Amino acid sequence: MDEWTLIEHLKKGDEAAFKTIVDTWQDMVYNAAIGIVQNAEDAEDITQEVFVQVYHSVSTFKGDSKFSTWLYRIAVTKSLDHVRRKKRKKRFAFVRSLVGEESEVVVDPPDFHHPGVSMEMKENAATLFKAISHLPENQRVAFTLHKLEGLSYQEVSDVMQTTVSSVESLMHRAKTNLQKKLADYYKDKT
Amino acid sequence: MKRVEETLNSLDGIKRATPQPWLFSRIKARLSREEAEERTVWGTMGSFLSRPVVAIAGLCLILLFNGALLLNQPGEGSSAAIAVQNEQQPSDSESYIASSSSFDFENLVQP
Repeated sequence: MDEWTLIEHLKKGDEAAFKTIVDTWQDMVYNAAIGIVQNAEDAEDITQEVFVQVYHSVSTFKGDSKFSTWLYRIAVTKSLDHVRRKKRKKRFAFVRSLVGEESEVVVDPPDFHHPGVSMEMKENAATLFKAISHLPENQRVAFTLHKLEGLSYQEVSDVMQTTVSSVESLMHRAKTNLQKKLADYYKDKT
Repeated sequence: MKRVEETLNSLDGIKRATPQPWLFSRIKARLSREEAEERTVWGTMGSFLSRPVVAIAGLCLILLFNGALLLNQPGEGSSAAIAVQNEQQPSDSESYIASSSSFDFENLVQP
């Protein structure tokens, strides 16, 4: 069954079509989410949310873009929402601790180890992920989709609904920022 | 600098991460849970509003609100008073006409 037939079947509420869609695109959605939120459990939760939204709003998918592009957009939006929510929670806990109110202790997350990284690259990749987490949102998304998902600049621009030259600029700034952050990190370490 | 470059390239050849097995079953369970919650919310709201006491109290509140609105509307007496006040005080435009008519048009020097 091709992509469009699957979507048409899902629009009619066909559960088998929904299962095929989940099975086909779950790795793609999960990998995009884990790259942005840098936490396996949160990425799993976001993946579920993405497919729940697909189930509810597949009728709004008109086919103006590829189905995978639409899925990426939902995954990126939900992942960024999650990151913002977490940051807000952290700031709120910090303010509460300043005014002396008891609140949940928020500690910095441990180093993130992506399950797809080879053993010899593990330490370097964890350092890079930490630096990526400090990038501005759009640079972070462009870098993650290009480096982790292997999307071309054209595909990244489709997902981010921007131009290819904007993506090139975002990637250039992301690399410059990462170089600076990593250089500072290694300088402090020595 | 070499270390920085090595770190920047550490994601080259990265493999895709995969979620835990049985993701579809968990999504199905989530959908069922959401539907049940929705049913519970609407069901609870419906049964609460259909209680005779709540329905009658709601109706009384609407009637009271309408009654209060009707009673607070300005009566005929007050509108008559406003009309008298308006007659006694010339409007701004009338006083402007009165002041501009005092201009001496007859002795106006023509070029």
